[in-house]
Amino acid sequence: MSLTRREALVALGGAGAIALTGCAAPRRSLDARRAAVGDPDVQVLSRFGFGPTAEDLDRIKSIGQDTWFEEQLAAGHGEPFALQASLARLPIENLSAWELRDLPENEVLAQMQQAALLRATYSPWQVRERLVHFWSDHFNIYGRKGLAGYRKPEDERRVVRDHALGRFPDMLMASAHSTAMLLYLDQQASTSAHPNENYARELLELHSLGVDEGYTQRDVMEAARCFTGWTEERGFLKRQGSFKFDPALHDRGEKAVLGQRISAGGGKEDGERVVQIVAAHPATARHIGRKLARWYLGSTEQAPAVAKAFLQSGGDIKSTMKEVYRLYKSGLHAPVVKRPFDLAVSAIRALGIETGGGKDLQDHLRKMGQPLYQWPMPDGYPVDAEAWSGSLLARWNFALALTQGQIRDTKGLPGGIHDPADAVASVFGGSLTKGASENLAKVVAKVKDPKQMVALCISSPEFQWR
Amino acid sequence: MNEQGFACPEFDQWRSTSRRRLIAAGLGAGVQFFDHARSALAQATFRAGHEGNVLVVVFLRGGADVLNIVAPYGEDAYYRARPTLALPSPVKRVTGRLIDLDGFFGLHPAMASLHPLYETGSACWIHACGSGDSTRSHFEAMSTMERGQADGVRGTASGWLARHIASTPARSGPMRSVAIGGTMPDSLAGAINAVAVQNLGEYRLASTDEGYHDVLAQLYSGNDEIAQSGNRALNALKILRESDPRQYKPEFGAAYGTGGIAQALKDVAYLVKHDVGLETACLESVGWDTHVAQGAATGWQASLLGELSDAISSFFRDLGPTSQRVTLVVQTEFGRRLEENSGFGTDHGHGGAMLVVGGGVRGGKVYGKWPGLVTDSLVGPGDLAVTTDYRNVLADLLEARLDSPSVDKVFPGLKRERTGIVQTLTGDLANKRSAI
Repeated sequence: MSLTRREALVALGGAGAIALTGCAAPRRSLDARRAAVGDPDVQVLSRFGFGPTAEDLDRIKSIGQDTWFEEQLAAGHGEPFALQASLARLPIENLSAWELRDLPENEVLAQMQQAALLRATYSPWQVRERLVHFWSDHFNIYGRKGLAGYRKPEDERRVVRDHALGRFPDMLMASAHSTAMLLYLDQQASTSAHPNENYARELLELHSLGVDEGYTQRDVMEAARCFTGWTEERGFLKRQGSFKFDPALHDRGEKAVLGQRISAGGGKEDGERVVQIVAAHPATARHIGRKLARWYLGSTEQAPAVAKAFLQSGGDIKSTMKEVYRLYKSGLHAPVVKRPFDLAVSAIRALGIETGGGKDLQDHLRKMGQPLYQWPMPDGYPVDAEAWSGSLLARWNFALALTQGQIRDTKGLPGGIHDPADAVASVFGGSLTKGASENLAKVVAKVKDPKQMVALCISSPEFQWR
Repeated sequence: MNEQGFACPEFDQWRSTSRRRLIAAGLGAGVQFFDHARSALAQATFRAGHEGNVLVVVFLRGGADVLNIVAPYGEDAYYRARPTLALPSPVKRVTGRLIDLDGFFGLHPAMASLHPLYETGSACWIHACGSGDSTRSHFEAMSTMERGQADGVRGTASGWLARHIASTPARSGPMRSVAIGGTMPDSLAGAINAVAVQNLGEYRLASTDEGYHDVLAQLYSGNDEIAQSGNRALNALKILRESDPRQYKPEFGAAYGTGGIAQALKDVAYLVKHDVGLETACLESVGWDTHVAQGAATGWQASLLGELSDAISSFFRDLGPTSQRVTLVVQTEFGRRLEENSGFGTDHGHGGAMLVVGGGVRGGKVYGKWPGLVTDSLVGPGDLAVTTDYRNVLADLLEARLDSPSVDKVFPGLKRERTGIVQTLTGDLANKRSAI
């Protein structure tokens, strides 16, 4: 267990805190939290999904964790009828970027967030949904850059969702053809005379190899030359904004990327070749391994094992996830902080509150620092506790609004919560030990209103972690 | 008459979009609070590092006509191009004449309240500075500046202050970076640890129940990152509860006006004096898009300038000795055309000016290479040229006042040139050493 504890300390990032307070104090509070973990089924649902609902808990208990995880990886397409019906009402779910152009940008972004909230809350395919957030961050696109917001729904469908449990090389190739991504990273401004390096650089640095992974500025420039001509349709009466390869903008000379020669006279295949080279590169496996380990296991200590599974399977995401799950089951994990989206959805799911995912709820996401699809930098929203520890006041106010029924279309605290023990049980399910539950109940008992007790449980440090 | 009604349609559109965003976002009722939590040790380092210095950034939205704010009265071309708008030279014995700054430039008379700060060496101007933006579009030019770019809106979408914060993550205060009076500005885009409020009264927990606060404090008495950060947030809330910012009494005889910029600066003064770890504050003033009936010594622009000048002078009076920790910079997305238009106003131009006031400033001077106003030296359709990259002014402030370790990360690709407006850190250290 000492390994786990060390990882946990790493996850808490408290080098300064340790130096200041000595090792004992943070370790004690951490051990207390870890000891508070009770029901392992609740823990799996929290770690690989957005926390338990009563139905999901029933399911995992009836078929067992391992079978549940296998079933999740198979991710059937069946969604509950109510979820399908809610999604079908959203134009962004059905229309192309070109057809969405009459909607204001804010409306497009709001509908995308609504779809994300509905899916995370109501889809039984929790493993896939949480992976979707991982990949959506990995291939982050700022929805307020130019027309990127209009194109992001299609990117989310064709790049992220279609491949979330598929093969990484396919997803990378799809992303390279996404005009939302190309526009976001200025690829359409790239010509043979003036190659723009932005997309090529982020492809290497963020999407595949990872920063400082053995590529040079020369590789970036050469890759940028390969992608010249990868642009969007702009012609009159054409399907504007769709992907287009323009041979007139393409640099037909010879290039060399990561030591591989790309002979002169090529066309669109030059860029495709770059995608293939970097997708299969061992550095990409290491990079994705680190990110998945941090996302699911709370530290990078087990990243080499994840990277190995990724590399050996040729970037097969299901195979890689099986290894992540195996490592998790071996106890090789540290706490993972909930980002604002995770906090909101897990509270709503735990309490069984009905939500429409509308603008009031999205407004709370924004105040907590995570309005989806609006992270300006190409690296995606941060995952470390440190980055998010500052949104606490907004989290506390979210908890109050949720429990007081002040979020339009997200209401209906369950009945039967009368005392502190009820409040703790409603928020944490069986995830706390008896002792931890009793301690928490004792503290929140100092307020009189049961709704406030529930709000305090959602606000508690314990509930900020998976 | 609604003077601001004469702003150009593009600016109106920008305003209404940001207002719509504000409403859509529900910011009016909301609070945003983020704090980049670090250990208390890191915070101690931060204190020792730059001793609680604060940078206040005031953005004049709409493109302020700097040629009538710091007017080049020494150049005939100024008077030829502006028959009705030009302000009389300081030597003219007429009302509404300029206040002499250095024998060539004169300060708009509506800014008289600010002038003592210049005379005592606490304020300086940098003329003919700006970005390389050539679109003369409010949106593009503001976006360029708030993202800290050379020109255009390509490249990084994050804000320059967000990048500064990211480059110095170890300095933590519960209210390290605050935007008051508007939405979260683009300069803070990507800073999840920034607070944006209309006024400080909004920074509060939705429950006023004391017992509720007590329980939270008990829950957050632990030692991990989340618990420590919660603790700091609760302390900040406690300060604001115990000493209501709405009841804040300015000191040293300062009297703030009722306007937006004055009230926002009053909130900043409160934060500076109460120890909440404030490092940067972003404020804005709108209505500078003076296309029609701009006015000269009096009128539209003069009333905006009077309000701004009074607000800044009240702010520094109120801060008293604390003002040594505070430096304020005023910027605008572009200056306006030299030649006045047929509507007694001015159109979008190019070169602007910046005002820097407060701690560390080598004031009493108008900085910058003056490009001149004769036809050959103008750019585009007849606009003041830019001779100082606005980023070098901001970089000077970040380095000298906030100990920025890497302005090259905040302003990638900047050709760094020191403007000399602030005492440099090395200079300060040298002074300290010689004192020892």
